[in-house]
Amino acid sequence: MPKLDMPQGALALLILRVLRSGPLHGYAIAQRIHALSSDVLRVEEGALYPALQRILLKGWATAEWSTSETNRQVRSYRLTSAGRKQLELEMSAYERVTQAIQAVLRTA
Amino acid sequence: MVGELLRRLHFLLTYRRRARELEAEMAVHRELAALDGSERPFGNELRLREEARDAWGWTWIDRTLQDLRFAARTLRRSPGFTVVAVLMLALGLGANIAAFGFFNLMVLRPLPVRDPATLVRLERRAPGAYAATLPYPEMAFVRSHVRSLSAVLAIASSGLHPDGDSRALTAHFVTDNFFEELGTELVVGRGLDARDARPGAEPVAVLAYGFWQRRYGADSTVLGGTLRLDGRPTTIIGVAVPRFAGLSLESPDVWLPIERQPHYIAGSALLTDYAGTAQGVQVFGRLRPHVTPAVAEEELRSLAAVLRQEHPQAIWEGEWLRASPGGFATGLMNVGRRGTGPEPPNELLAIFGLLGALVALILVTACANLGGLLLARSVAREREMAIRIAVGAGRGRLLRQLLTESLVLALLGSAAGLVGGYWVLRGLMTLSDTPPWLDPMPDWRVVIFAIAMSWAAALLFGLTPALQTARLRPRPTAVREILIAVQVAASGVLLILASLLVRGVVHASTIDPGFEVQRVLSMNPELRAHGYAPPRARAFLDSLTERLKGVPGVASVSVATQAPIGRGTVTMGIEVEGRPLAILVNHVGHEFFDTMRMPILAGRSFVPDDARVLIVSDAFARRVWPGRDPIGRQLDLGPDSAGRPVPFTVVGVVRSASLPNPKAPDALEAYFPIERDDWPAMVMLVRTSAPIGGMAEAIAGAVRAIDPSLFPAIESLASGLERRVQSTTYIALSVGALGVCALGLACLGIVGLVTYAVAQRTTEIGIRMALGASPSHVLSILTGRFVGPVLVGLVAGIAGAALLSQLLRGELFGVSPLDPVTYVACAALFLLVAAAATLVPARRALKLDPLVALRHD
Repeated sequence: MPKLDMPQGALALLILRVLRSGPLHGYAIAQRIHALSSDVLRVEEGALYPALQRILLKGWATAEWSTSETNRQVRSYRLTSAGRKQLELEMSAYERVTQAIQAVLRTA
Repeated sequence: MVGELLRRLHFLLTYRRRARELEAEMAVHRELAALDGSERPFGNELRLREEARDAWGWTWIDRTLQDLRFAARTLRRSPGFTVVAVLMLALGLGANIAAFGFFNLMVLRPLPVRDPATLVRLERRAPGAYAATLPYPEMAFVRSHVRSLSAVLAIASSGLHPDGDSRALTAHFVTDNFFEELGTELVVGRGLDARDARPGAEPVAVLAYGFWQRRYGADSTVLGGTLRLDGRPTTIIGVAVPRFAGLSLESPDVWLPIERQPHYIAGSALLTDYAGTAQGVQVFGRLRPHVTPAVAEEELRSLAAVLRQEHPQAIWEGEWLRASPGGFATGLMNVGRRGTGPEPPNELLAIFGLLGALVALILVTACANLGGLLLARSVAREREMAIRIAVGAGRGRLLRQLLTESLVLALLGSAAGLVGGYWVLRGLMTLSDTPPWLDPMPDWRVVIFAIAMSWAAALLFGLTPALQTARLRPRPTAVREILIAVQVAASGVLLILASLLVRGVVHASTIDPGFEVQRVLSMNPELRAHGYAPPRARAFLDSLTERLKGVPGVASVSVATQAPIGRGTVTMGIEVEGRPLAILVNHVGHEFFDTMRMPILAGRSFVPDDARVLIVSDAFARRVWPGRDPIGRQLDLGPDSAGRPVPFTVVGVVRSASLPNPKAPDALEAYFPIERDDWPAMVMLVRTSAPIGGMAEAIAGAVRAIDPSLFPAIESLASGLERRVQSTTYIALSVGALGVCALGLACLGIVGLVTYAVAQRTTEIGIRMALGASPSHVLSILTGRFVGPVLVGLVAGIAGAALLSQLLRGELFGVSPLDPVTYVACAALFLLVAAAATLVPARRALKLDPLVALRHD
């Protein structure tokens, strides 16, 4: 199965979603998305870090340095309450859109 | 949204730390990815980091700083080019900045007085009549009745003689609220106030700072001391600060209470005389809060109507007082204007229009020239650009880089121009004796203008070469030819205008102005100001004439209402055979034409007791009755006081003389015999048979022998004319300097272009010469391409000069704005210089050894 690149916009949604269960650093975010999508979705460095910077700028997450299990200095991202709200918003919007698309696909 | 904006700003402030963090974070990412054994991510790390930083929205600053650093390096590497470019721009921008600085001083910058925005200047207007001053009683009536103005200020100017000094000083008689309303600060003492206006109050004076320094050496014990003015003791009560503008462009030496004016000028009826022909007062008003000038004008119109019921002779029908902004230097101009007919347009607009056009031309020349230089550089930078494109620079980025370079040059030039412009303006202002409070130091408006101009200039000279260098636009030679044409046109205009002005100045100082200048003195006894009634004035002048005729060396004596080359003019708007004309009116004694040595061309001169006749100037006759005999024709000059039309008969034609203004020789002059009311307004003219030296004292002595209270102003016509010519000399010098600079720039441009063409076509020339082309053939191939642009530019320049020179008419002393000598000479000079500029570099091509040329490149 070929590895798919992430569509624009959806990436922010996925990042917010994986951060909901707890703070993660950049590489871990990419890994988590990769794993959860059964190795289908692959997040490249060139897309991940601009997206994270945008999220920081929007105030949906905060970042702080900590030491990882492998004793490395990593920067972890933590969802803010604004980020949670944004996630809810985007998820319900996503749901409505996918339902609508499926309805069309099924009946047309 | 606001939160995001604040965060964005915060990101900018912590930019360096965040960039470091991002770098570390991404390094960890790569490390972890490598450990996981998945393939190591590809890509340019620098680029990836930059893309991530893009999200912050501040990368443009990064790029701009990069561009600026790069531009600075590039310019430092070629110091010769940089210095030439900055000097050129300093010249072009400096001229513009100086011109704007002058405009700013005159029009935009408020006067250094309290609350200048609510000050209005009041002038009399009525259908068919205008006057810059009001009779004092009219001002007093307005002051006591007006509700839309919170204060009314008045000024009357006069020359007074301090004891021990034969030169008059300028005294301004002002209302008692003058110092308080204008918020004047004093170095020592106090300003004038209501105490000094009371009847019987002690005569007091406030000194101007400059006068205090000159006469008293800035000694503050002068306070309470006595200054004798025209023999009247006056107590000094204060000294104003140097920057006090005092609502006048003339710098007064002392301020005195206006109520005391008759105390100094014996017999003066200023305070009581309603007749508008007497010296009036300049009036300013302070608008009440929230009152517009239009509202005030409405009220003043109704006040004038009320006053007219009491004084129907003095107040004009339909009179109103125009309230124009008074808190600016422009509001202080034209203080002596009065007349009938339509008001002449404000000359200042034309002056600024012309000035703006001239400095724009020099900027265009400089920019076109610099554009040519940059194009030449672009050839040298082809390799650099090719490399940069090869390593991935986008064309947009290259373009921005090149424009940044131009902008750096323009900003440097603008800074140099700001300094240069200040010095030029300062020098010109010192030469032309402007008041000290007009400070040429650039203020924020001038600085903003300088920055804006540098942007405009950068686009003007930088865009085309940048487009071409970044390879977005081909055909460099076409662009260069256009640039040459523009330079030639612009410098041609400047050169022609400068030559016209120089010719005007030379003309004024060498050619007969139409009347005797060298041996005539004018003497103004100011009889009206001293309260002389017509019969007394006539008796005075008659006995003075007798006395002067007995003085050895006096050849002829006469009188006139308008002194030749005097300060004010009286124009009259009339209609002749359906055409409106503005004529200059002079009432003269019957010996006037003899005294002034103005030949009568047809008809006769005046004889004693002439009435209802006039003599017109040659120009007048030719204009009004072209090809017909003017003698015996009748002119209707409007009804007399009883409403009956009064025809005047032309009895003679006199040679046109640029009286009273030598700068306006095409003005139409009409001379009338003296009427009863003219006597107190007469100026006396004395022609001597010997050189003038010592004659002024003799005349003053004769005047004082009859009336010791008079202090006449005596001046030779020659020195008056010199004064007039001087201002034009300054203008001619400035424009001439600009013109020569522009011509130099244009030559440099042509030299550069031809040199470039020779370098580009070396191989071709070599082949042609090897095949036996004659030198003249090679030369014609090389230069042929530039003949077109130079000729087109020259024609455009001549056309532009012909248009613009119309604005100069008033400064040319009778030289025609289309003076063929000037145009032909300038065109010839230009062609000569252009030919030299072409041939010098082209000669190099002819000396080429064909073998060497073929190996070239």
